[in-house]
This record gives sequence, C-alpha cells and structure tokens, in this order.
Amino acid sequence: MTSTGYLILAIGIIAALIVIFVVSFVLYMRTPAPKGCEKLGIGPKNCEECDVKGCMIYKSHHKEEE
Amino acid sequence: MEMIVSFILAIVSYMLIDNVVLSRFYGICSFIGVGNKVKSAFSMGLAVTFVIMMATLVCYPLYFYVLVPAGIPFLDTLVYILVIASLVQIVGLFIKKYSPALYKSLGIYLPLITTNCAVLGVVQTNSDASLDFLTSLANGLGTSIGFLIVIVLFACMRERINGYNIPKAMKGVPIALITAALMALAFMGFGGMVG
Repeated sequence: MTSTGYLILAIGIIAALIVIFVVSFVLYMRTPAPKGCEKLGIGPKNCEECDVKGCMIYKSHHKEEE
Repeated sequence: MEMIVSFILAIVSYMLIDNVVLSRFYGICSFIGVGNKVKSAFSMGLAVTFVIMMATLVCYPLYFYVLVPAGIPFLDTLVYILVIASLVQIVGLFIKKYSPALYKSLGIYLPLITTNCAVLGVVQTNSDASLDFLTSLANGLGTSIGFLIVIVLFACMRERINGYNIPKAMKGVPIALITAALMALAFMGFGGMVG
C-alpha cells in the first residue's frame, strides 16, 4: 500500500473511533441508572474521608444543608 | 522456552519493580479515591486491567501498522485517547446495564478510568520505546496486575487504619499518602530482582 493509502486508512480509522465514542457515549447517557444510583456524586459520605473544611465542595455541601 | 521465560520476567518486572503507581506515580487519582474499600478497589483494578489489556491490543497495531506507515506517528496520543475513551464508555455501559452493585461501588470513579494515566502510560511507553508485540503485552499485563495488587493492598491497609485511633490531623488523605509512601519504599525492595 502507498503512503497516501495508509493516510486515508488512518483518517478513516480516526473517524470510526470518533463515531464509536459518540455512539457509546449516547448509549451510556440513555441507559437509565440502576435504582439507588441515580445521584452518584460528591456528598457527605465522601467528605467523611477528608478533614479539609476549607474545601469548596465541603463548603457548598454545608451551605445546601443550612 | 527462552521467549516464555523472558515474557514472564517482563511481567514480573512491570508488576513489582517498575510498578506503575508506586514508581511512576500514574493512576494516583483512582488509587487514593477508590482505595478505601477492598471490594471497590478490586472492582476498579479489574476494570483498569480490562481497559489496559484492550487498549494495548488495539493501540499496538494502530500505531505500528497504520500511523507509522502513514507518516503521522505524532497523532498517537489523539488516537490512544479516542481508543481508551471508547473502551471505557463501552465497559461503563455494560456495568451500568448488567451490574448495578459494581456501578454503585465504582460510582463517580468509573468515567475516571479514561483519565487514568496508567492506561495512557502503558500504550505510550509501548510506542515510544518501540517494544515488540510480546513485550507490549507483558507491559500491559504486568502493569495492570501491578495496579490491581497495589490498590487492593492499599485498600486492605486503609480499612485497618480506619479502626485505629490516629491524630485528627492525620485522618483521611494524610495517613493514606503516608501509607502509599511506605508501600513505595517496600516495593523498592524488589529492585534488582530481575536482571
């Protein structure tokens, strides 16, 4: 195969990878989260591990509580 | 026979001596984040193992048989990131659909496998050092098993540490980092094991 052929193949593969990523991302977002896992994120449980009270996440969480 | 021995030695070397977390400091984010419970650490280790092995198998031929002959090897990082991100999305999709317990235990760290530099580090090392396919596989297998061993050991230690009365200032991340440093020192003892 010539260098141009390889270049076309490379561009095709990169385009295919982008399509695969987009499709899998859309499917991932459309798949409903299992029960009890709807709101996975940083919360008070994660804050127990760390004692940094000046952290932005800690502050925002405790503001919400107030 | 000689090839099998060197393959096994390469795996041991990448697993214990050049451990990806403790000697190269890759994957520290998930190491500290998920390494507090043995079950989630083990699940994360398995997920990272799968992604590293798949990424190695896909990225090696892409680099050596497509990007290099096309004269665009400088696009390697872009291609690797696309491959890793797609693999993580697919793994995440399956976990979300078929294993709610694993999905819950990995939580917000599941998409972080994409940004786990251990995965990108392995494939980048394979292409930068122009390793042959067998050594690349050994690198992938050794690195991922090394990551799994270290994160599970670390989680075991953190679970035990949580039961002890330690000073307030040392609770949480500080004691975890000291534990990681002591583990790194212990793993240095493996240095020179494989000639």
